[in-house]
Amino acid sequence: MSSTAAEAALETAAAPAVKSPMGELELRIEHRGGKSVAAHQYHQGALRVLRPHYLDESGQVCYVVVNPGGAYLGADLYVMDVEVGDGASLVLTTQSATKIYRTPGSFAEQRMTLRLGERAQLELAPDQLIAYREASYRQNTHVTVRPSSSLVMAEVVTPGWSPDGASFRYEELRLRTEIHVEAPGGTELLALDNLLIRPSLNDVTGTGFMEGRSHLGSLVVVDPRVDQALADELHALTAGCDAYTGVSLTASIGGTTGLVLRSLSDSTEELNRLLGACTALLRERWHGQAPLNLRKY
Amino acid sequence: MLNTRTDAPSASANSYQLALQQLTDSALPTGAFAHSLGFETYIESGVVHDEESFGVWLSAFVGQQLSYSDGLAIRFLYEGVPVAQLDSLLTAQLLPRQLREASIKMGTRLLEIGSEVFPSPELKAYRELVDTGRAAGHQPLAFAVVARSLGVPLTEALAAYLFAAVTSLTQNAVRAIPLGQNAGQRLLRNASDDVAAAVRRIARLAPDDFGAVSPGLEISQMRHERQRARMFMS
Repeated sequence: MSSTAAEAALETAAAPAVKSPMGELELRIEHRGGKSVAAHQYHQGALRVLRPHYLDESGQVCYVVVNPGGAYLGADLYVMDVEVGDGASLVLTTQSATKIYRTPGSFAEQRMTLRLGERAQLELAPDQLIAYREASYRQNTHVTVRPSSSLVMAEVVTPGWSPDGASFRYEELRLRTEIHVEAPGGTELLALDNLLIRPSLNDVTGTGFMEGRSHLGSLVVVDPRVDQALADELHALTAGCDAYTGVSLTASIGGTTGLVLRSLSDSTEELNRLLGACTALLRERWHGQAPLNLRKY
Repeated sequence: MLNTRTDAPSASANSYQLALQQLTDSALPTGAFAHSLGFETYIESGVVHDEESFGVWLSAFVGQQLSYSDGLAIRFLYEGVPVAQLDSLLTAQLLPRQLREASIKMGTRLLEIGSEVFPSPELKAYRELVDTGRAAGHQPLAFAVVARSLGVPLTEALAAYLFAAVTSLTQNAVRAIPLGQNAGQRLLRNASDDVAAAVRRIARLAPDDFGAVSPGLEISQMRHERQRARMFMS
């Protein structure tokens, strides 16, 4: 089968259906009396958050998202809506790896909307993504920041899991993130990060794709303090890791700029170490905070 | 095929043919000779070092970057998506800074040349958006606006654009690796299959596919910013 014919087959198989969410989560964080607290919280179905905790004295609140079902299955839709109000600060993480099981004839999907207010801080630090054999997954993240917001998103994608131990046996992964800046002159698109991995259609392991590595790490930072010197510094910081890494800047909108770091390596641990070193630098420099140390409950 | 006649080509059937050749000729002074669009990083690391290894990179570049970004942007423009919207999408999607700057640099030149050589109301409108800071001026869009105004059908426009990109990249590789001139011609002939496959693929992509790029190509484009000795601006 030619690759375009196979793509057509895949598109037919993955025709979107009208879905009611398998799990929903809404969270609105506000800054009140020196610390960040949930002003609104709602969950339904197979998504919830654990009791909030405070990792340091900064007032930043940490929420852990839990999927009691443990995994995403075919046609599952998960919807998350998170708002961090003016001056508030949130760390959002997961309890364990996001696992996508077989999704025959369909795909699992996560839609996340994130909105950051003036000087709001959001650090998104989910566990790694694992897609099992014959899994298809779409993750759509829509972020709106203000020029004064501070956003850090980290992500690790593994080569998946199959019973025979072979890598890249899943059908398709799509991780699409749009970041918009709400500036006085109107809302503009700052970054469109679209990752599409289809091991079922093409060899994704070699030159021009995974470059012989198995794991992919991404870090996206949007903050008015992002500049070329920071990009160079983070690049130098990653030099000691066993990973192939690139760092670059987006255009600037309304006084804020995006920084994108992309890294290929052979293990989740190595990428977590690399991404953790970068976010530790940012936390210390911008917020006077210690490195993120998430004990998982 | 449009022109299947065996006698002299009819001026009406393919009046755009010579204009399209001029537009995609590697002698068109857009500065394409100054851009490797990331392959120089692969030369530096030794991954690209001969005809075969450059062919592997070129094939990945045509199948990924040129299809999902440039090619899809051209198709969307033909389908009537406003140029300002596509311009903003490209600026946001071309995350490696040098790649974004290359697209804008060559696009701006193409807008200037096009305004003199192939003027049209659509091109004037795009140029005005760029001149007033409301658009950046990307190469595939400048090309698509001109090609569409000349009456070039989408499939031909896509094939011509992709093959022109492949040609300048191959010429640059011939100088940089270096390769023999005949090796360059063999690469071009082989790349025509990739271009044909890309044209077919672009026709079936969905809006959500726009800007899907491979991490390896992207990292190499980013790393080029910090490469010490380099011949190319990207």
